[in-house]
Amino acid sequence: MGEIIASESMWEYFHWLEAKLKQEMDIANKARERGRDPKPFVEIPLAKDLADRVENLIGVQGVAQRIRELETTMSREEAALALGRDVAVGTVGNFEDRKKAIEAAIRVSMAVITEGVVAAPIEGIDRVDLGKNDDGTEYIRILYAGPIRSAGGTAQALSVLVGDYVRRSVGIDRYKPRKEEVERYVEEILLYRRVANLQYTPSESEIKLIVENCPICIDGEPTEEEEVEGHRNLERVETNRVRGGMALVLAEGLALKAPKVLKHVKKLQMDGWDWLETLIAGTKISGSEEEQTAGVKPKDKYLRDLIAGRPVFSHPSRPGGFRLRYGRSRNTSFAAAGINPASMVILDDFIAPGTQLKVERPGKAAGMAPVDSIEGPTVRLRCGDVVRIDDVEEAHRLHPEVEYIIDIGEILINYGDFLENNHVLIPSPYCFEWWLQDYSLATAEDGSAKPELKHPSQEAALEMCEKHNVPLHPDFTYLWHDITANEFVRLAEFIEEHGSLNKACSVLSLPLKESADSGIKVILENMLVMHRVLEGNILIMQPLPLIRCLGLGAKLHRRWSVLEAETGLEAVNVVSGLLVRARAPSRIGARMGRPEKSDRRMMSPAPHALFPIGETGGNTRKLEDAASYKESVNGKVGLIRVEIGSRICPACGMDSYEFRCECGEFTVPKLSCPRCGISVNRETCPKCGVNTTCARMQQLDFKKIYQRAFEKLGERESNIDAIKGVKRMMSRNMTPEPLEKGILRAKHELYTFKDGTVRYDMSDIPLTHIRADELGVQVEKLLEIGYSEDVYGKPLISGDQVVCLKVQDIVVSYDCAGYLLKISRYVDDLLSQYYHLEPYYNAQSIEDLVGTLVMGLAPHTSAGVLGRLVGFTRAAVGYAHPFFHAAKRRNCDGDEDCVMLLMDGLINFSREYLPDRRGGKMDAPLVLTTLLDPSEVDKEAHNIDVCAHYPPEFYEATLEYTNPKELESKMDLVSSRLGTPLQYDHFMFTHDTSDIAGGPPVSAYKTLGSMVEKMDAQLALADKIRAVDASDVAERVLVSHFLPDLFGNLRAFSRQSTRCIKCEGKFRRPPLTGVCPKCGGRVILTVHEGSVKKYLEVSKKVAIDYNVSAYTKQRIELVGLDIKSLFNNDKSKQTGLSEFM
Amino acid sequence: MNQIEVITVFLEEGYQISPNAVELICCHCNPRSLLDDVLQNMDPSVLVVDIEHINECINERDIQKKYEVPVKAPFSKSSNIIPAQVNPMVSTLTCPQSYNPVDVLLDITDNSTCVGEYMEFVQFFRNRYSRLSEMIRGRLNSRPIESLNKYRNKKGGRREGMDKDMNEVSIIGMISDIKSTSNGHKMVELEDTTGSISVLIRMADKELFELASCFVLDEVVGITGALTNDGKLLIAKKITIPDLPNTLGERKRSYGKAVLTSDVHVGSSTFLEEEWYRFIDFLKGDTDNEVMAELSTEVRYLVVAGDLVDGVGIYPGQEMELNIPDVYEQYKKTAEYFSEIPKHIKVIISPGNHDAVRQAEPQPMLPENIRADFSENVLFVGNPSVVDLDGVKLMIYHGRSIDDLVASIPGVSYQEPTKAMVEMMKRRHLSPIYGSRVSIAPEKQDHFVISQVPDILHCGHVHTVGVEWYKNVLLVNSGTWQSQTEFQKRVNVVPTPAQVPIVDLSTLKTTILKFAE
Repeated sequence: MGEIIASESMWEYFHWLEAKLKQEMDIANKARERGRDPKPFVEIPLAKDLADRVENLIGVQGVAQRIRELETTMSREEAALALGRDVAVGTVGNFEDRKKAIEAAIRVSMAVITEGVVAAPIEGIDRVDLGKNDDGTEYIRILYAGPIRSAGGTAQALSVLVGDYVRRSVGIDRYKPRKEEVERYVEEILLYRRVANLQYTPSESEIKLIVENCPICIDGEPTEEEEVEGHRNLERVETNRVRGGMALVLAEGLALKAPKVLKHVKKLQMDGWDWLETLIAGTKISGSEEEQTAGVKPKDKYLRDLIAGRPVFSHPSRPGGFRLRYGRSRNTSFAAAGINPASMVILDDFIAPGTQLKVERPGKAAGMAPVDSIEGPTVRLRCGDVVRIDDVEEAHRLHPEVEYIIDIGEILINYGDFLENNHVLIPSPYCFEWWLQDYSLATAEDGSAKPELKHPSQEAALEMCEKHNVPLHPDFTYLWHDITANEFVRLAEFIEEHGSLNKACSVLSLPLKESADSGIKVILENMLVMHRVLEGNILIMQPLPLIRCLGLGAKLHRRWSVLEAETGLEAVNVVSGLLVRARAPSRIGARMGRPEKSDRRMMSPAPHALFPIGETGGNTRKLEDAASYKESVNGKVGLIRVEIGSRICPACGMDSYEFRCECGEFTVPKLSCPRCGISVNRETCPKCGVNTTCARMQQLDFKKIYQRAFEKLGERESNIDAIKGVKRMMSRNMTPEPLEKGILRAKHELYTFKDGTVRYDMSDIPLTHIRADELGVQVEKLLEIGYSEDVYGKPLISGDQVVCLKVQDIVVSYDCAGYLLKISRYVDDLLSQYYHLEPYYNAQSIEDLVGTLVMGLAPHTSAGVLGRLVGFTRAAVGYAHPFFHAAKRRNCDGDEDCVMLLMDGLINFSREYLPDRRGGKMDAPLVLTTLLDPSEVDKEAHNIDVCAHYPPEFYEATLEYTNPKELESKMDLVSSRLGTPLQYDHFMFTHDTSDIAGGPPVSAYKTLGSMVEKMDAQLALADKIRAVDASDVAERVLVSHFLPDLFGNLRAFSRQSTRCIKCEGKFRRPPLTGVCPKCGGRVILTVHEGSVKKYLEVSKKVAIDYNVSAYTKQRIELVGLDIKSLFNNDKSKQTGLSEFM
Repeated sequence: MNQIEVITVFLEEGYQISPNAVELICCHCNPRSLLDDVLQNMDPSVLVVDIEHINECINERDIQKKYEVPVKAPFSKSSNIIPAQVNPMVSTLTCPQSYNPVDVLLDITDNSTCVGEYMEFVQFFRNRYSRLSEMIRGRLNSRPIESLNKYRNKKGGRREGMDKDMNEVSIIGMISDIKSTSNGHKMVELEDTTGSISVLIRMADKELFELASCFVLDEVVGITGALTNDGKLLIAKKITIPDLPNTLGERKRSYGKAVLTSDVHVGSSTFLEEEWYRFIDFLKGDTDNEVMAELSTEVRYLVVAGDLVDGVGIYPGQEMELNIPDVYEQYKKTAEYFSEIPKHIKVIISPGNHDAVRQAEPQPMLPENIRADFSENVLFVGNPSVVDLDGVKLMIYHGRSIDDLVASIPGVSYQEPTKAMVEMMKRRHLSPIYGSRVSIAPEKQDHFVISQVPDILHCGHVHTVGVEWYKNVLLVNSGTWQSQTEFQKRVNVVPTPAQVPIVDLSTLKTTILKFAE
């Protein structure tokens, strides 16, 4: 902690950012000083570091300083606990009562543990209360809420530990649960798992063990509709409904993370937590079994819950699936993996940059990025040719010709992802970079200086084997391990008998018909031996290594008679006299997860302005309609009644909803208790203790407000179509936004989010190096914003030089840039027309936005991160430095988050607009991180490797299924660079890519129409891929998507509620009167026959076409009969002709 | 031979006949021959033929000696058994070539009119309302809810002349909402075809409050009470529920025994085949135990109240718990089992939620292709249905709604399934709660309304055996042939498998036979 260590050039960059930030802050403050916003100053506090963030997030004075003191000597977690104690006993902060202090202590500690970014410490803990034990002593109850989920298991568990730590320091007794309370926990947690989902479900005895021994009462507010059936109406449990927060903390927190908690308990020498050891001992048995067996087994977990339209690319570890290649490209790592863009195209465009794949290993999911320096797919064309396609152009050209996808290409995964997921290393393929190191070692010369080594001729390859005794070059290493020894013999015999070699030994020709009939062609295909089909012959180019591998002589005669080998690979090494290694020992199964995202953030329905107009704007919430609304025939036009914050001018006593009175004085809210009705100028009602509010039903002359807003701006009403407001404000004081903002947003076709900002969402993909060329910017522009040299230290002069991306710089999609451009114009209009200041951006095109400050913000968090726009990409993703993503607490496994223009946030964000309900403060920039300190970002980012190549020991170690931890010291990881200037600079990558936007721009999933169409495409692809069992895909889609949909809707139909189309009233049961009892409107069903039957026909068809299991077929048949029986009238059967004869 | 035919015969011969006598003849195993006997031996001076005349005749025809079954069924180890008794008079009539007639009085099969439109839902509930409210109407001078509106005064004041009127109003409504106020009172929303009103049941009115705490959604109740000043709220003073009449007219009785069972779950890995075979052996009279052998000769009917097989796709992951993963194979196997049952025993099968018919209730009988596997002595009916077993009226309902009743009514549990059945009887409705666990098909008639009071209500579904009398109606839950499933283990439901209630059709006394080792 403390001062950030960085090189001089990095400091230059940070100073640049700070200066620009200050400039924008000044302008925003000046604008807000005009008093037209809820507060006359910028409401986003700036935080330089974690300490600042925590203090701003929780709002306890003096915390920041104490954290900085503590962190000089302690680890993050220890500091968090120590700080909690300080707050609880009152050394830090100032609280009226003990309860408040304990509550703040727990929140502060949690905030420190979660880097002050996520909303869990404020939103995940409802409150802390004191309860009474049966022996009269007191205990602490922590009431958790749903958003505690965002804290993650460890922080959840530690919050309980904090509670205990705090409890001891203020002298409160432990929680002594009653027997029925223990039983209640058991029932409730098991029920929660049924209605929601738990990563880990503790057994009954584990739950009992935890509850009986945990010194803190883990309580919570009800989150689910379900109620417990057995242990109801307990005296000390306030609700019969399921408490989701409680279940999460107990199951995913304490039960799952017990070892981590124990570690801290031991460090702090706390007593009373010995039971954790019993807990760990109990759970270990099942967990360690798997690791006993050497190697890895295929895992099909990623195939669970397969959805229609999201294809499977490879079944678990199956030949033909993604071939693992170790390495990191500049746009992968941090849970993002690379594949060749040609693979994306050949896989029917289902994968685009940013598309999430659920993968077999090492993690659960990965974002996809195009890396064209690894191998693409191998396909059989309609003409019989077998080719590998490494080039995206060629992929486009050949795509219509593809008959069968023999191999879907390589997938690039870095060592760091294995380390992060604690997954044993699995055997590396014999790839070029490994071979090159073998070569360099054998010849004692630097192979990387000889580019001709990359793709040597067949003669050269064989010669190198002979001369230096290095393994055969990967270009000529076929997938021998995929064929049996028997197949090896057949292949050798076949070539001996039928093969003919041309003079130059450059083409081996085999008769097509015999090859096909005897299955030899399939063997060649499966080994990925490229060949062409010409005039009834199979032609294999550069065949000498193949011939040699098969142990055939120059005249194709066999040089061996008896083969003693079990596998194809063994056979090669026995008969060829060459060293041949496994080309694809590890395959990674994968299926599509979520499609990539790059879209405007819109609420639904999407408003332009946060201004309430009730029902007067109709269902479309048009302000124009509200302005011409008449309550009755003779009513005044534009007079509307809405709930809105009521304020008063202290100077002239005028009532208003605005923040500044016409007389120039700032208004103050008129607070009153919503229950007792008393007006008081306090936060809570003195009588009943309820929070006061200034919202009340008021008459507004909206027509006047509406017209005046246009006048003020000097805009003409006719120039702007449909401006939309909201029906009702969700915030506590129902503070509306100035209408003018909505008008200008509508003018620029922008929509606002709940907090007054305009946002754009994108999938996160990491990026550590850039080229000016691919970003759509000139080199001059990069030089202008502080880039000066390329990754090799050479001066930056041309657009194709690779440059290290600075940590807070981001690359956005062109669509996003266009939206940001609109926002910049809106902000400029706002500054000039509304605040009467100079416009700031003056951007004519998106190029002008390069260097603009933006704010990144992830869902479930409350801390924005300052970023700078550096370029644009055709891919529908947000590229940024992995540290930038980590600062938002995202990794890149398919997560998405938003960017907004900094100035928009500074001027327009206000806490006053935030919804007054659970989760309302999430996803809002309550604090802004200005400087990015790698040691304060999500620890996951510390496991990224940043070397230019992996050492040979690494490759050798993968063959032994080594635990990645053992190699930590040999790899150049971010964690080893922390605290040095290198933590920002001189990152490298092992595999380059020519274009970070390669491949299709959007996933086919998004361009295909109906679900049936998507399903057809998914199955068509499954039919083509060797590694996919189409019948299994069909079965899984039916079982996990279509059948549950059919059953669910059928059930819903028979238990459905009804609704009124006029007043939107909902009724659990159709009213006996038949019409809406509230308004007399027409009542209709909510579930119709059509939605029940939706997937029936397609399910039947797919079940037959793909011959799914009899069980599934029968389920479909039965549900079909069920539907028929329900919707067919027995009495109106069709009368057959025979009845008249 | 039905009652009309009997009466006609007597009338043609110039006799009047008492209803009891008609009944007695009808419930005989061979009414035609009995009737002929009676007519032959009848004293011509008799004007009205009564029961004693018939009895005389029967005694003359006496072919079998009397016997009794011991209190305890010999297979059972448990002592907790309802004593079995046999009416000496009628039981003597068992004849080998039995005539065991079944009249189906209510069944949805081939009468489903539902096509899934909104108005069908409305009509379905209107039908329920009109039929249940009719039962209450005789006991209550009720008025339409809409008519209370005229007392609603905009200014909130009381209209003149209202006092007298409003001290006591009665309404009959369907419950559309139940809430507890912050003070703990019950607030119920009542609805009829004209409008709706809130009804307050105060905590202080102990008895009323107790009654109201058993209210479930969508049942029909009558409330007598006083309107508040603004006319918007009714303070309850009296609650009237449909319920059964305290006395029923004299019931017709038959003779012999009916065996009630359900939830066989053939195909499940937890199906207790061994015990089931023991049961079949009993029905075949294939037992060393003389008492049991004799008992088995008396069996005339076997009734299965749903869940004949375990089905497929009923719950997620079911395929892991099936021995026979094909539903049609499950039925084939079942048909094999049933084919061993002696042909003189009439078997009646109605479906449940595991069977291969629509899930929405009322469910029609099993489809033709499945029925075809079974022998001729098997009769299929829908769920629910009412059948007349040679004079004894039996209502069969699988019992899906018990899940809802257990969840909604305090004191109703899975361990005592008949408690839920009592609640059905009180409401005169098999499944009042809409929108919860029971799927409904909005038919023209609400088949769940208990219009005619049956002699026996037979349910299953919950896998626990129970027998109880409620106001002259025998309530039987017939248990299961499946041992505890994984799901039941999780929710701590302990089934009572392989126990079979056997009802004496003359006295309705019930014995539970245990076939578990």
